[in-house]
Amino acid sequence: MRVSDTHRYAFWDTNRVIAITVLALLPSLGVTIWENGSAIIAPLTFLAGLSVFWYSVFARLRQMPMCWDGISWAILFVLFLPDAVPLWQQGLALSFGVIMGALIFGGHGRGFLNPVTVGIAFLLFSFPGSALQTPTVSTTIAAVYGGALLLATGLLSLRIVVGFAGSFALLGTLFSVPDLWESARNASLLLGVVFLIGDPIAAASTNPGRSIYGLLAGSLVIFLTLSTDASGIPAATVFAALLSSIFAPLIDQIVIWTNVRRRAGRQING
Amino acid sequence: MFDQSKAAVQGNALLFKFTKGLKLNAGAGPNGNIPNVPEINHVALLGSDYPSVKFEVKVTEGDEVKSGQIICVDRDRPEIRFIAPAAGKISRISYGARRRLGALVISVEGNGELVFDPEPASKDRLALRNLLLESGAWTSLRSRPFGHIPNLDSCPSAIFITATDSFPLAVNPSEIITAQSEMFQRGAEALTRLTDGPVFVCQVPGPPLIETHGRLEIVSFSGPHPSGLPGTHIHHLMPVSHQRSVWQIGYQDVLAIGHLLKTGRIMTKRTLSIGGAGLAKPALISAPLGAKLAELVRHLTSANSPTLISGSILSRRDTAYLGRYDLQVTVLERESPVRPVRPFWHRLLDWLPYSQQKAIIPLEAFERVFPFHILPAPLMRSLAVGDVETAMRLGCLELLEEDLELLSWLCPSNSDYGALLRRALESLVEESGI
Repeated sequence: MRVSDTHRYAFWDTNRVIAITVLALLPSLGVTIWENGSAIIAPLTFLAGLSVFWYSVFARLRQMPMCWDGISWAILFVLFLPDAVPLWQQGLALSFGVIMGALIFGGHGRGFLNPVTVGIAFLLFSFPGSALQTPTVSTTIAAVYGGALLLATGLLSLRIVVGFAGSFALLGTLFSVPDLWESARNASLLLGVVFLIGDPIAAASTNPGRSIYGLLAGSLVIFLTLSTDASGIPAATVFAALLSSIFAPLIDQIVIWTNVRRRAGRQING
Repeated sequence: MFDQSKAAVQGNALLFKFTKGLKLNAGAGPNGNIPNVPEINHVALLGSDYPSVKFEVKVTEGDEVKSGQIICVDRDRPEIRFIAPAAGKISRISYGARRRLGALVISVEGNGELVFDPEPASKDRLALRNLLLESGAWTSLRSRPFGHIPNLDSCPSAIFITATDSFPLAVNPSEIITAQSEMFQRGAEALTRLTDGPVFVCQVPGPPLIETHGRLEIVSFSGPHPSGLPGTHIHHLMPVSHQRSVWQIGYQDVLAIGHLLKTGRIMTKRTLSIGGAGLAKPALISAPLGAKLAELVRHLTSANSPTLISGSILSRRDTAYLGRYDLQVTVLERESPVRPVRPFWHRLLDWLPYSQQKAIIPLEAFERVFPFHILPAPLMRSLAVGDVETAMRLGCLELLEEDLELLSWLCPSNSDYGALLRRALESLVEESGI
C-alpha cells in the first residue's frame, strides 16, 4: 500500500508552475493581439507548435517525461518580437533558445538560462537590425498584472524586483539616462524583469544572492542602454538578463562560501 | 551562545519569535477534552523508526509477552532494549531489505506487565541510566547530529525537552502536561542527571510548564510551523556538529519517565490527535505505542479503508502502525489529494495532470518557511544529487527528516528531502565510523 501513488505530497509541480506562468502571460498576449490584430496568431501557433515539437523530440530521445513549458516560452517570444521579423528567423531563434537554453541540460529546471533570453539574444546577434516590439500603455498594464500574479504566488522573488528597481533608478538618475521614466514604463522592460530576469531557474537561488542578482541586472540594463545607442531598452533588457543569469551561479557560490564560514564561526563560538 | 537577533528575555525565560514558517490551514485542532480509548488489538515495533539499529530479535512468533518485556536489542549495543508496548502474543515478525526488521507485531491479549524498581534510580546516575535502558525508555531519546538512539557512555552538551507541537491539528502539549505536572517535573529533573549541561524545556509563551532551577531552564518559541520542532530549537540555542551533540526527547516520553520513576510501571499509552480531511471532527485518543492505525480510527470514521498517515499531513510515512515518535494520525480522504490550504485558484489547478518532471525550481518561498541559518535551495540540490560532502558543509548535520518536510511540500520536484537527508546522514555515519 503506497499512499504516494494516489496522493500529492507537494503543492507545486512543474505543470502548475507552467500553468501559473501562462496565466500571467495571457493578458499581455490578449492586449498584443487586440492592438496588432490577428496577424500575430499565425506566428504564435507556429512557434508554440515548434517548441512543443522540440520538447517531444527530446522527451523521446532521452526517455524523459514530456514537459509543456515550451508553450509559455513561445508566448513570451511573440510578445518580444514584432511581426516584421521573418517567420523562419523567429523559428530558428526559438529553436536555438529552447535547445541550448533548456533541453540540452535536461529540460525545465535543470539548466541555468532562460530559453527566451537565449533565443532573443541569438536573434539580435545573428540578424542585427531586428528591432523588438514597440510597446504601448495597455501592454505595460498587462505586464504589471503578470508580475503581480507571479509575486503573489511566490514564483517571482520580490528581492529580485526590488534589487532591480533600486539599481535601475539609482544608476539611471546618476548617469542621467534620457527618458528614464519613459523607459521604466516600457512593457518590454517589465516583461523582461518579470519573466526573463525573474525566472527562478535563471536567477540566483539564495536570498542574499537574489538581491545582488537584481542589483546586477538593473545596473546592466542601464549600462547597456548607455553603451548601445540603437537597440534601446528591450535589447538591453535581454542582454542584461543573459549576462546576469550567467553570473547567478557565481553569486550563489559566494553566498554559500559566506554562509559556510559564518556557520563555522557559530559552531566555535556557540 | 544563541542567536541574539531572534531572542528576547521575557520574565526570566528566553523567548524566540519566528516569522518564517508556514501556517497550514487544516481546520480546528482537537479540543482539550478527555481522550477516547479505542480497543487496540495489534501493536508493532517498526524497524524504520530506528535508523541504523541492527535488531536482534529475542522472541519468536507465538511467544507470550508481558508489557515491558524485552523483545529486541540493538546487536551493536546490546544494552539498548526494545520492549513490548502491550501484553500479548507475538503474531508476526517480518523482515525487509537486507534482513532488516520490518515489523514485529503483537496481538494484544491480557494485561500482564513487568514492574521495575525505581528506588536506586532516584539518586544514582548510573542506576537511572540502567533503569531507562531496562524499561526501554532509553529509546525515546534521540541524539543530534544523526538522530540515533544515544550511546550509553555519551554525555550530551544539553537535553532538549520538546513541549511544543506546531504541526497542523496537533495535540496541545500544555494541556497534557498541566494535567500531570508532577510526573513532568519528575521526568525532567531525572534528565538533568544524564547531562552536565542544561536541560531546556521548550514551550510556547505562556505560564511555565515546570519549576526551573539550576540547569533546568525554560525557553519559549512562538511562530508558525516549524517553530515547534526540536530541530528549530536546537539550531537557535545550541547548534550541533561533529564536535557537539545534544539529545532531544518529546514531552510525553518525559511524562512516561516521570511515571516510571514514581510507580515503577511503564506508561506505554500516548495521547494522540486524530484529524484530517477524511474526518468530520478531530479527536483526542489514548493508545499504546505502535498501535495499528486502522484500529485507532475505526470508531471515528465509517469509511471502509481510509488512507492513514502516521504523523501530520506533511509527513510521508505510509506505515500501518503508529510511528515511535509520532503523536498524531492524519486521516485522508480516499483518492483525494492532500492539500491543506485551498483558495479558489488551487481548485482551478486541480484538473491539471501531475507532472513527472522532477526538477528543483528554487523558489523564494523555500526561505520563507525555513527558519535556519542554512541555505535551503543549495542544500536541497546537494541532497538530491547525493553530494554528501556539500550537504554537510551546508549544515545537514543539524537537521533531521521532519525539519525538511515543509521544503518537500513546497518543492515542485516532489522529492522527499527527509528520505534523502536520512541517506546522506547514514553515509556520513559510515564514513566517520561512529
